[in-house]
Amino acid sequence: MTVQVVKIAAIPDIEIDSVTLDIIENALKNTRYEMDAVLYRTAMSPVIREQHDQFPMITDPQGRMVVGQFGSYITGLMATWDQTIEPGDVIMLSDPYLCGGAISHVNDLLVLVPIFYEDELVGWASMFGHMQDVGGPLTGSLPTGATTIFGEGLRLPPVKIYERGKLNRAVLDIMLNNVRQPEMNRADLMAIVASCRTAEKRVMELCERFGKATYLAACGALLDRTYRAMQKLIVQNLPEEPQFFEDYIDDDGLGNGPFKMKLTIWREGDQAYFDWTGTDPQALGPINFYLNEGMFKMFIGVYLIMVFDPQILFNDGFYPLLHVTLPAGTLIQPEFPAALGCRTHALTRLFDVLGGALSKRAPEFTTAAGYGTSPYMLYSGYNTQGNFFYLMEITYGGIPGRPIGDGMDGHSWWPLFTNIPTEYLESYYPIRIDSYTSIQDSGGAGFHRGGNGIEKVYTYLEPGEVSIHDDRWLTPPWGILGGEPGMRSSKLLRRADGTEQVLPSKCDQVQVEPGDQLVYRTAGGGGWKDPLTRLAELVQRDVRYGLVSKEKALNAYGVVLHDDLALDADATAALRAQKAEERGEVQPFNYGPPLEELLANAEHDTGLPAPSRPQPIKWAAVRAARRQQATSSNGSTNGKSMG
Amino acid sequence: MAYRVGVDVGGTFTDMMLLDEDTGKFWRVKTPSTPHDPSEAVLTAITRICEQAGVDQKNIAQMMHGTTVATNVILEGKGARVGLVTTEGFKQILHLARSQTPGPLAGWIIMIKPDPPASLADTAEVHERMSARGEVVRELDEAHAEAAIRSLVESGIESLTISLINSFANPAHERTLKAIAKRLAPTLPVTISADVLPEFREYERTLTAAMNAYVRPKVEHYLANLEQQLEQREINARVNILRSDAGLMTLKTAEENPVYAILSGPSGGVAGALQVALRAGYPNILTLDMGGTSTDVSLCRGEPSIARETRLGYFPVKVPSVDVHSVGAGGGSIAHVPELTRALRVGPQSAGAVPGPASYGRGGAEPTVTDANVVCGYLPPKLLGGEMSLDVEAAKRSVQKIADAMGLDLYDAAEGILKIVNENMFGALRLVSVQRGFDPREFALMAFGGAGPLHGNALAALMGAYPVIIPPAPGLLCAMGDLSANFRDEFARTYIRTVDMIDREELTGILRDLGEEAKAMLSAESIPADRQDVQYSLDLRYYLQGYEIPISVQPDEVMNNGIGTLVERFHQTHDRLYGFQLDSPVEVVNVRAVGIGRVSTVELPEGAASGADASAAHTGTQQIYRNGEWREAGLYDRALLKPGNVIEGPAIITELDSTTVVLPNHTATVDTYFNLLINPMK
Repeated sequence: MTVQVVKIAAIPDIEIDSVTLDIIENALKNTRYEMDAVLYRTAMSPVIREQHDQFPMITDPQGRMVVGQFGSYITGLMATWDQTIEPGDVIMLSDPYLCGGAISHVNDLLVLVPIFYEDELVGWASMFGHMQDVGGPLTGSLPTGATTIFGEGLRLPPVKIYERGKLNRAVLDIMLNNVRQPEMNRADLMAIVASCRTAEKRVMELCERFGKATYLAACGALLDRTYRAMQKLIVQNLPEEPQFFEDYIDDDGLGNGPFKMKLTIWREGDQAYFDWTGTDPQALGPINFYLNEGMFKMFIGVYLIMVFDPQILFNDGFYPLLHVTLPAGTLIQPEFPAALGCRTHALTRLFDVLGGALSKRAPEFTTAAGYGTSPYMLYSGYNTQGNFFYLMEITYGGIPGRPIGDGMDGHSWWPLFTNIPTEYLESYYPIRIDSYTSIQDSGGAGFHRGGNGIEKVYTYLEPGEVSIHDDRWLTPPWGILGGEPGMRSSKLLRRADGTEQVLPSKCDQVQVEPGDQLVYRTAGGGGWKDPLTRLAELVQRDVRYGLVSKEKALNAYGVVLHDDLALDADATAALRAQKAEERGEVQPFNYGPPLEELLANAEHDTGLPAPSRPQPIKWAAVRAARRQQATSSNGSTNGKSMG
Repeated sequence: MAYRVGVDVGGTFTDMMLLDEDTGKFWRVKTPSTPHDPSEAVLTAITRICEQAGVDQKNIAQMMHGTTVATNVILEGKGARVGLVTTEGFKQILHLARSQTPGPLAGWIIMIKPDPPASLADTAEVHERMSARGEVVRELDEAHAEAAIRSLVESGIESLTISLINSFANPAHERTLKAIAKRLAPTLPVTISADVLPEFREYERTLTAAMNAYVRPKVEHYLANLEQQLEQREINARVNILRSDAGLMTLKTAEENPVYAILSGPSGGVAGALQVALRAGYPNILTLDMGGTSTDVSLCRGEPSIARETRLGYFPVKVPSVDVHSVGAGGGSIAHVPELTRALRVGPQSAGAVPGPASYGRGGAEPTVTDANVVCGYLPPKLLGGEMSLDVEAAKRSVQKIADAMGLDLYDAAEGILKIVNENMFGALRLVSVQRGFDPREFALMAFGGAGPLHGNALAALMGAYPVIIPPAPGLLCAMGDLSANFRDEFARTYIRTVDMIDREELTGILRDLGEEAKAMLSAESIPADRQDVQYSLDLRYYLQGYEIPISVQPDEVMNNGIGTLVERFHQTHDRLYGFQLDSPVEVVNVRAVGIGRVSTVELPEGAASGADASAAHTGTQQIYRNGEWREAGLYDRALLKPGNVIEGPAIITELDSTTVVLPNHTATVDTYFNLLINPMK
């Protein structure tokens, strides 16, 4: 770090008794949830408050995450910070290219609060949250047509929004002057700052209670503890032979696609390797995901821990065990100034690919693919009183079939996110929700069924513009170990006059009039293991619940039900035996029809033209080659791409 | 001669207090609960207490009853088969819930989603629609609805819920449907959402209504049974049930809206604690009710804090409740060391009553918090009265497992378990204090329940919350709370608008109407006018925030001054809670009136002051392990202590249902009401 003035506390090399350690661990965990609580109670935008698109963190003095969700990015950020850091400072930023991808689109506002105790920096509290609008040409700042980041709203470089406790009015005014709903951004910023300040207070209290040295030693020991746990997980669960997995983002919103993401995994001793070579070049449209290496390591850790042992407190301690290759100029490491707004699809697909690659060593533990993105619906305009309105809503879909049980129907793949109540939407926006349900048969069949996708029907009550961000309309979420794929997503606009129009899964500036109706359907989750072995009574229950049709029970599960839905056990046994015979061995993965077939039938099956094969962007390729050369000489794989 | 009884039916024990209203004298008994029919224990308790007091049962005029019947129905998943009627398009409202999966990332992999109180197979949609402003968007198709309800009734449902979109704004369709259901099935219990929770957010309202329907038949059955048995004994007492917000309700209300009583048990404890603390001169208290499997904590400032939502197991239920935070940490919590991390964890698994802690000698072998207390010497092997002795060797064997797994000495492992469980409770206490902007150092800590007095001093030391108050008979505080509860009911209306859009007269009118409803309720309870109180409040927030802060108000204040001062109070409260204010417009969400009918209070027994010398109660010594060293602690018999006595720590004070630990450098003083007040030495 090139930080001036500040004395960064060293982690003392002292023994810490394991009970004190557990106490500090608990205290930090509680604090992390207290950060959430403060935010939810005070933020204004439904996206943060109702839907919880926000991520808190507390780090050690070096910026390594001790508790939180998204892993450390502070170390990288501080590498180029050339100002002082002092008590009372609050730093904020929103430019992904200036923080190595710590945040990955300009909507995410990242706030950092240094924590001082006895004049030494003992850690950081940090949080980022999704701002509903950060300016730019379209409401919501996520234009599907953006081809560079300059088309996506205000980019904030790292800047002190509070300097020694004093608000930097100029910066705040500039920021708020560039957004459509300044009051909302102001409140959300204040809420995030309040949340980080809470963590600051708690960490100072811990230093007071246990002594600074003990607190710091505890941070070190907690990181160590995760390191050791992870070491075991790697040796137990990662293959020595390289294994790869591929999956796709359907399109980039500009008619190009699909884009391949490819990951190869292996281990050498207790060291694990994750290589993204083979991933397609960066896209012209805004689906690029500028992946931070540290964050990716965190994803790996979280995933391994959740799959294999959810008790572990995860933090950055295990980072040295993981080695990541992120090839420059690709979808997951695009060259500046590639557009990044709609990176959610790749961010989510990353987990499908990771799960797929890991499953080859430990198939019993892994899950199928889910709805695979974060589907958005944006609606804005001016109401009859001339007032601006703007709604951004995140919807959910089918959770994958899992070792522990069925995938949930219409639930959030994202942690802790919730839906917006219909009564809230109708109280505050000119909109009516005609139905909100999961889609029968949309979950992939399996021993554990994939969750059904969501169907939400909106009726617009004022003229306005609608944007849609979704994926998995072309390639279905795959099933695993004999489980079948989930149903694909779709969007249908039904005009007030009865005419219907299929909308692409990524579009904006769709003009709507009062009475127009949007049928928004998200994808179902893939199934887990052989549906012919699913307990017939569970299939029968799903039919009685209306979640699976009688026909699907028959065709996919081989379960024969009478008209009154009573189970015909004999006919079921016979049909299942026959189907198993016809089918033969189950495949490890079921992707549905081959990609070529999906493309050839796209127009017929979905009402949307097939995307065209993406062409590499020449300037990006040149710059990527240059960067690759530069970084291979200095050894870093996550260099900055400015310049 | 009029007598009142307070009775608390808990999971393990049924506690009762009998009060002579004329003399203020009271008696207590504790008897094992009878889960198969809880009324059995209630009647046993009545027999015993009346014998003890020499009172004729027929002279009991009123029974105030805290009950966990509703709580247990939910926790054990043994409620009724519930039918649900929703607006078309929303059949899956309980199935989809809020779509939430747990954190962190990939938390969905391990999520277990419990079945909602109404099955999808028992859910029917009807054709109708209201707008959020309460205008009819689509008329109710009554013929279709009747067929749908008939088919539900014929399918065998035991309880029916009706919950329609936007019914908080206009419940007309729900009421029509209720009338239809009553016509089709006159004896079927019908719950409509607008009656149970007339507030917006459809999932929470529907869930709360469905929960009500779910517990209703069992609660109705229990209460009817109790009434009948009382009648058989010719006890003509008026029975009132303690609500989750520590207010009383009538039997009839409890039968219709049992969901209001889902936290009846813990709320009795808080009410009892507050009653004792107020008398002792400490209006601001943190309560610590530590039992066998869990610990309930709350914060009171002269009155209990009331929350609008409570979580029972997985489900968030929106009923006013004493703001009790519960953690899975109790005397029976099991300590364990996971293989992978080698970290020491305590709970949430519990050894329960069976097999119980290893030291109880009932076959338990897992190390529990109680065992750690035994190993460290905080729980003497012979409990007072000799009714039960503890197996110290079994406790050591169980804790040794932890010591081995962690490479620690036996006694350090035991002390480690106590420190971890204290930390868990500390987290809960912080949540209700520091996290709500209150400094625990300004509060006394009331420790009760079977295990609270063992841990109270250690927690006070962590928080700086002094004195620690240990009431007499700490295991019987809930019955005292029941006995001293007031009538209480809430009347609320959702009224969403920013303050600049508020019509002063309209708002005053709503407040007064709600106040009249509250008074009518109290009068119906035969509460005389001079014992009726109505408290008014508005739920306020910054425009577009999602959570409100209740601010109290008087209708006259609104009429005369508008709500300017109210808004100022809101800004200040927001600043205290979250550390900032905004210039944004302030919005009203709900208007509320709470009717309170004061029942006479309980006079606590007082003792004449005696000297500081407590040697008359000294019964021996006991070695205790603390901070890595052994200390000799004095053993005292609480029954022999007199007001004014002072005991220097380390000391252990035993009584029939509890054991109090006084740590080194602390003193315990007996106050006029026989409470122990523990303070640090100067």
